[in-house]
Formats: sequence, structure tokens, C-alpha cells
Amino acid sequence: MDNTQGKRITMAHGAGGQKTSELIGEIFKKYFDNPHFTKDDAAVLARPEGRIAMSTDGFIVSPAFFPGGNIGELAVSGTVNDLSCMGAEPLYLTCSFIIEEGFLISDLEKIAESMADAAKEAGIEIVAGDTKVAGHGQADGVFITTAGVGVIRDGFAPSGTQAKPGDAVLVTGDIGRHGCAILLTREEEFGISADVKSDVAPLWNLVSAVRDSGAAVHTIRDATRGGVGTVLYEISEESNVGIRLDQTKIPVDPGVAGVCGMLGLDPLYLANEGRLVIFCPKEETDTVLDALRSRKNGEGAAVIGEVTDLNPGIVTLKTEIGSETILPKPGGELLPRIC
Amino acid sequence: MSSVAEKAAEYIRSYQGRPIRIMEVCGTHTHEIFRQGIRRMLPESVHLISGPGCPVCVTPIDYIDEALFLAKEKHVTICTFGDLVRVPGTEENLQDVRAEGAKVRMVYSPMDALAYAEKHPEEDVVFLSVGFETTTPPSAISVREADARGVRNYAVLTANKTMDQAYRALRDSADAFLYPGHVSTITGTGIYQELKSEGISGVVTGFTGAELLTAIAVSLKKMEDGKPFFVNCYPRVVTEEGSPSGRAIINSVMEPIDSEWRGIGVIPKSGLKLRDRYEAFDARKKYSIPNIQGHADPRCRCGEVLKGECTPNQCPVFGRACTPEHPVGACMVSNEGACAAWFRYGRDFR
Repeated sequence: MDNTQGKRITMAHGAGGQKTSELIGEIFKKYFDNPHFTKDDAAVLARPEGRIAMSTDGFIVSPAFFPGGNIGELAVSGTVNDLSCMGAEPLYLTCSFIIEEGFLISDLEKIAESMADAAKEAGIEIVAGDTKVAGHGQADGVFITTAGVGVIRDGFAPSGTQAKPGDAVLVTGDIGRHGCAILLTREEEFGISADVKSDVAPLWNLVSAVRDSGAAVHTIRDATRGGVGTVLYEISEESNVGIRLDQTKIPVDPGVAGVCGMLGLDPLYLANEGRLVIFCPKEETDTVLDALRSRKNGEGAAVIGEVTDLNPGIVTLKTEIGSETILPKPGGELLPRIC
Repeated sequence: MSSVAEKAAEYIRSYQGRPIRIMEVCGTHTHEIFRQGIRRMLPESVHLISGPGCPVCVTPIDYIDEALFLAKEKHVTICTFGDLVRVPGTEENLQDVRAEGAKVRMVYSPMDALAYAEKHPEEDVVFLSVGFETTTPPSAISVREADARGVRNYAVLTANKTMDQAYRALRDSADAFLYPGHVSTITGTGIYQELKSEGISGVVTGFTGAELLTAIAVSLKKMEDGKPFFVNCYPRVVTEEGSPSGRAIINSVMEPIDSEWRGIGVIPKSGLKLRDRYEAFDARKKYSIPNIQGHADPRCRCGEVLKGECTPNQCPVFGRACTPEHPVGACMVSNEGACAAWFRYGRDFR
């Protein structure tokens, strides 16, 4: 938009008239342009070969801009990663914006630009969108809902019910960075600052690399809200297996470890927005690690544990002093400790 | 694992002496002992007891009732550390009254509470001042600062405690104490020499798995000599003199009083109250809080747990009526409470 400096979203931008067309034309069309981006009521798309996967997710992160990313990149990555974890190649994405009156148009433009970049990286096309403006105080800045369609080819279909005793448990990089980065934006509240950036990223490149490696992968899941610990408990229950982690092998950025130490939090329960948990038979470990480590966002991939037929539904940890303990089941509000 | 930790672990595993009870009195120790799986490494004759070292766990029910009175009847803004909002009072907790519209704010330091009071002169702000020697100095500073800056809408509700008398009160509950690493940075180790001369044994320890194992091994070894002992196993942090300035700040603002410890009872001179010079900041005086007699749930056995007379899972409400989401007793509230640790880590596994 010509000189968006200092200009703000008004109710007129959501009224469907001239201002709405301006906003769509000069921001969304500018960044989302592709042959399938609809000017009509719905995008009309050819049916791909294979089974269709479809997913939707709402994003309300506060603040909308955080170290390492923003809500736009998050909204695209979140849905792309949900599709990817099912083994589905992301194809098409829709996005719906609810924008608070008074939101800076230049910020909206930055968000749209990030969405376009993330979509390009993931190979997904943004084909339709919607914009609504909510009155001041009725929304917090901007909320984005995305829905995505992907296609599953070649019978590659990992799932949370497929983990088996003897599997290795991998993560695609160090854990807990997104949750920690968001926590640190509340610096005024905690009085802590550290150089921690969110890991937000679309991860189809990693999933496709693993698929193309030919390894027999059983489960892939993105460790978002609730973190790796929560995801592992979900999988242990869905697959009715036990999971044994090695505390010393779990990759954690020193900044994240420091913040967690001070606030009494465990990185295993902090959100990630660019990390996958992968289960594969032990003998496939090297193939999967090689596939991951040669790709962007997979450089830090590591084996963190194994699946056992003991203790179904329970996640245990081999501790740094060689004992074993249970990973406490996540639950309730995370309260920093007081002494 | 470091070679020191390995040696310590080996010594503990092969221990064949008489049964021994070791009480860790710091909540962070309790949490780390579970997190590192240390209990699984102990032979049957070595018992660890999670003592009264989590400030939330020992805060009496009357105190929560006082805070509820201030929030509901006096309409003050309560500023508190997070864990306290879920500690049950006689009828309800601070989280409940917040949902009903009372003003309850979580803070991470008493200075945040003071800053809030300065920013909101139209509100009456009370900070819930709980904790041991480590958390008490900032609380004392907040009162001194409020006085210096003339902040008249700030007060504190004190339930601060000191550990030394607690060791004496609990001497029959344990053969040796794992003294708290952080509290000792303030108190220094002189107090432990005194306790030793009275026949009370213990070891100051840090918070890593290796440090905790070492402290347990040292305790077992020293027990064999049959004499009272004290060893500082955390010398990189804890010194003999401790922090004279930290103690001076406390002494300038507060003085000792008899204090009730939830589940244990009144321990003489184990608490702190504001000195008369600062009585304008004493919430009990400022708001004329009546003498409130709270009533704990009679089924709750927190007191016996804190003295090692029963384990959390022997309590009739543990894991049933009492869970971290719905705590009946205070020991289930904080992550560092003995019951919460048993609940979170206590499931059987192979």
C-alpha cells in the first residue's frame, strides 16, 4: 500500500467496500499472488492423485511479533506442519484474518510478507482468504485462522498409533525455544532477558526428506503446545507403548536451559513451532538422521530415547546420574517456583 | 556421570549399616531428588524424608484465611507468589475469590508488588510475605523502600520463617538433615556447628544429582562414626559467614516471634514479624485483622508427611480428593511439596 507508514486499520477496511478492496489488492494480493489465488467466492482446484489430508488451526499468539518470527509465519507453519506430520504434501492454504481496529497497516503488511515467504518455503499456495475487522478491544491485534489441504502419496502414512517397541525416538533439533521466546517477551513480568529465538518454521522439507530416504517411519508429530513431553505421552497412550528417554541426549539451547532453571520450568513442556518428534525402527536411525541433518531446520536432529514394551502409557527418563525416573505427566498451569 | 557421583552412588548402594532417616528440608532438594531418580538408588535401610522446607507447605491455614479476609472484606489488592493462590483456606482459596472478582495479582518479587502500589495509588496493596531466609530479605527491602519513598498504600502480611528452630523441633524425626543450599548462603554455617554441639547432625548440599548423592554418601559415612557431625558439601557457594548484609536487612525490619507451621504446630521464635518502627506497613495492624481460627480438612495428613511419620501415599485423600489440580493439603500445591512430588513421580514403572 502506498506509504503505509503510521496508517491504521479502520472499521471501513472490513466493510466490504472500497477500503476493503484496497487492502486486499495492495497487501494480500501483492504478497499471495499465484495462479490459484481466487478473485471469486472460492478457489477452484484440480483434484490431485492420492488421498486428501485437511487441517485447520487458529492463531492468537501475543505478542504478534516475537523474537524469531511473527503470527503470520506461525499461522502458515502450523497448518503446513500438521499436514506434513500425516505424510501429506502441503498443496493449498486459506487464511482468515480478524484484525483489531487500529492495527498498524505496516504491521499487517509485514505479517502478509512473512506468510508468503513461509508458504513459498513449504511449497503451499495460498488460494483464498477473508478479512474481518473487529472493534477496538474486541480482538487483540490480529488473529489468523488457516486451513490447509495436502495430498498423501505412495502409502507414506505415519501416525500416532504406529509407534512400536524397538523404535528409536528422535527430535529434529533443540527443544523449547518457541515457548521460551514467548515467555521472555513478558520480560517486565519476569525480569529476565536472554537471547532466545522462536524455532517457528514450516517443516515439509524435513518430512519429505525422511519420506524420500525410504526409511520405514512409524510416527511423526510436531511438538507444539505442551511441548515434546506432552506429545510423547500422547503417542505412548495412542500406541500403548512405554517410552524411555535419555536426559543427557535431549538437545536444549543453553539460553533456554538457563531460563528454565531460573523459573523452574522443564524444556520438555515448552512449546515448539518448528520441531518434529519422529519414531522409526532402530535400524533406520542413521538413514533418518542423515536425511534430516542435511536439511534446513534439521541440522540438530538427535536420538533422545527408545520405545519399550514395558510401562505402556508411561514416559520414563534415564537421569544424568544413571538412575531412572518418571517424566511427570503434564497438567495444569505452569507456575514458576518461588524459592 | 562424574567420578565423584559414581563413587557416591556405589557407596550408597553397598551401604549395610543400620537403618537411617535423612530429612531434606528444602523443597528444591525434594524436587531434584525425584527428578534425578535418587530414591531408586537407595538401599532399603536408607529413608529420605521430605521435611518442611517448602514455604507454601508450612503456611498455616489461618494465614490463607487472613489473606482471604483482606481480599473479600477489605477489598485490598493481594499481590502474591503464584503457588499461594491454590493453597486451601478453610472455605476457599485465593484463586476462587479472584474468580468471584477479588483483586489477586501474581508477582515474582515483592519489589514488583511495591512498584504496583506506587503505580496505583488508588488501590490498597498487600504483599503476602512468605518464605525463608532467601526470600525474606527482598520482602524486608520492599518495606524499607516503601517507608523511604512514602508509599502509604503498601503493606505486607508476614508469615516469614527461619529454619534454625525448626531443626531443633524436628530433631527426633531424622538422624541427619540435608541442610538447604540457598538458605545457608544467607545464614552461613555457624548455626550448623551450634546444632552439632546440641547433637543434631547434617550436611549442607547443592542441587545437582551429583551433589545430592555426595551429601547422602557423606551422611552415611559419618553416621558410622556414631558422633554428631556437620559437613559443608556445597563450599563453592556456602561460606561460614553467609551473608551478613542479608541478615542485617532482615534484622533491621523484622524481629522473631513464635510461629505456626502447618501440620507441625507452633515452633518458638521460628517466625518473623515487622518491627514496631514499620507497623504502618503491617497488614494485620493496618486492617485490624481479627483473630481468625482456620480449620484444615481433618483427613489431610500433611503434618505427618512433613515429619516423616507417613508417606504421602498413606494419606487417605492422596491422589483421590487431593491432586495437584485440586489440592486438599498444602503439600500437594507446590511442585516442591512432598505430596505433589510423590503424585507426579510416584507411579510404579519397570
